[in-house]
Amino acid sequence: MDDQACPRCKTTKYRNPSLKLMVNVCGHVLCESCVDLLFLKGSGTCPDCNILLRRGNFRVQLFEDPMVEKEVDIRKRVLRDYNKKEEDFATLRDYNDYLEEIETIVYNLTNNIDVVETNKRIEQYKKENKELIMKNKAKIGREAVQLEEVLEKEKELEELRRQELSRLEQEAKKQKIREKEALIDELMFADGDAKDILNTFAQNMANKQEELASAVPLVTQFSSGVQFTRGASNQPIPIIEEGPLYKYEPLAVPDRCGPDAPSIANIVNCGYLKHVRAENECEKAGGYSATLPCLRALQDALAGLYHAS
Amino acid sequence: MFSTSSQRKFWTFSDESELARLREKHNLNYISKHGAHIDEYQRYNFFLSPDEERLLLKQYELHLKEFCKRFSPPMPKGVVGTAFHYFKRFYLYNSTMDYHPKEILATCVYLACKVEEFNVSIGQFVANIKGDRDKASDIILNNELLLMQQLNYHLTIHNPFRPVEGFLIDIKTRCSLANPERLRSGIDEFLEKVFLTDACLLYAPSQIALAAVLHAASKEQENLDSYVTEMLFRDAGPDKLAILIEAVRKIRSLVKMVESPARERVRVIEKKLDRCRNQENNPDSEIYKRRMRELLDEDDMPHVSSNRMSLDTSGVTQVLSPSAS
Repeated sequence: MDDQACPRCKTTKYRNPSLKLMVNVCGHVLCESCVDLLFLKGSGTCPDCNILLRRGNFRVQLFEDPMVEKEVDIRKRVLRDYNKKEEDFATLRDYNDYLEEIETIVYNLTNNIDVVETNKRIEQYKKENKELIMKNKAKIGREAVQLEEVLEKEKELEELRRQELSRLEQEAKKQKIREKEALIDELMFADGDAKDILNTFAQNMANKQEELASAVPLVTQFSSGVQFTRGASNQPIPIIEEGPLYKYEPLAVPDRCGPDAPSIANIVNCGYLKHVRAENECEKAGGYSATLPCLRALQDALAGLYHAS
Repeated sequence: MFSTSSQRKFWTFSDESELARLREKHNLNYISKHGAHIDEYQRYNFFLSPDEERLLLKQYELHLKEFCKRFSPPMPKGVVGTAFHYFKRFYLYNSTMDYHPKEILATCVYLACKVEEFNVSIGQFVANIKGDRDKASDIILNNELLLMQQLNYHLTIHNPFRPVEGFLIDIKTRCSLANPERLRSGIDEFLEKVFLTDACLLYAPSQIALAAVLHAASKEQENLDSYVTEMLFRDAGPDKLAILIEAVRKIRSLVKMVESPARERVRVIEKKLDRCRNQENNPDSEIYKRRMRELLDEDDMPHVSSNRMSLDTSGVTQVLSPSAS
């Protein structure tokens, strides 16, 4: 990985840790910024082999050897047409020959041997087997749908299991509360020694728990034998207890012990402001307004007037 | 807001007899503590009586007013009002014989400057004091914490100055009184005198402010009675109006009774005080100096200071008592 470098701008992974190498169908790498630069118009030629490339076909290099990338690309394309199955051949020998042919085509295209010739062969094959190709394509589609159905079913089962678990949990919780209440009742009304009562209850509880543990045969696999969920994530997610919701209560205004001061709206509308110094621009910018000291003076004047010793 | 303040809860008293009772109690406390060895008759001659203390404090309140008036840089009115409050509150629960009013006066003004955000340094502050300035700054800083403790840390003071502004704004807006600004000189004069009375320990600042406004109006041959009855108290019951009228009448009569104490008498009292004051709190006394030296030598501040605190506990528990009720 250390010697990963863009052949065009010579940037290495060492100098630019976020370097991303991209590959197109020809198998020549370029770094992301070079791709941005060269394929500004959406298409251009590969700086190595001058093949016409589209920008959209660039993808992040997965394999260290770019030739592998190229081969994967070509194989994907070829297999789209060469989609015959074993059932389509009379003998195993024919099928093996057919596979051999596919490999030859892929190898030739990857290593640029007889490209024109090989492409012609593909065209020929396509023409000859048009019907079969179409049929197999549809078949593949059907298989995909079937696979999806299976997955869907698995999901449903999972959901059912989860619901069952949460129901059990709820029940256990309720049971616990009931037991606690019974214990308290017993302690309140029975005449026996409190210690004894506590002991018997603890015993009962332990017994019940054992029963419960044996009573629930946990289903851990599908009928097919496949385990549910990967790994040990079988435990249900712990539920965090939340307290009662916060309820807003407006602050109680303390008794001013005097007549009510005018509201801010009244101060503005009834001409109180004519008799205080108006705020200047600087003060206004700082958030000061003449109504504030005016209101404060009025409140101070009126608060406490009813004070009686 | 005054109605929810510590000022109303702990420092506004029902009537003058309650104040007199408190002052008398601490006078007697001091005498019984320090005069156990003196017989009954001598005691009367040696210690200050509650009346003498009262007279002395009146004199010092005048000093306080003068000091603030001449203070440079000029002091906002709120600082003066707050200093007066502190001074009065301190001597409700302490005797002048225990702490000399001269020292507490300066400390009150200094603390008031801080609380009212009138920024002066201790150096700037003592520049206004005649005599030994280093000693003065020592005394002030030593007493500052004591003062706060005796005030039970109730440092916020509601002064009548802002309510006066509120009333003037209200009168200008809602009344047809011609040129209300001419009331101002009368109001200022009245408020200056109010602080020489106990009114601020008995009434709400807004009541004092209203009394000042009404007094100034009557001096200008104006009548604001209709403003009070028809605007301020329109929605309140007649009982509340009666309470207010009584309060205003009382405040005005208190102000009318203000007079400066006779100089001769004060001089005699001061001489008496020099002999009977608590020498442990006198920075000029041998006891005080020795203790300070010990404090420095031992370098054992917490121990010594805890001793000192125990001297004051009588005052502290009494300060706390109104909060218990």
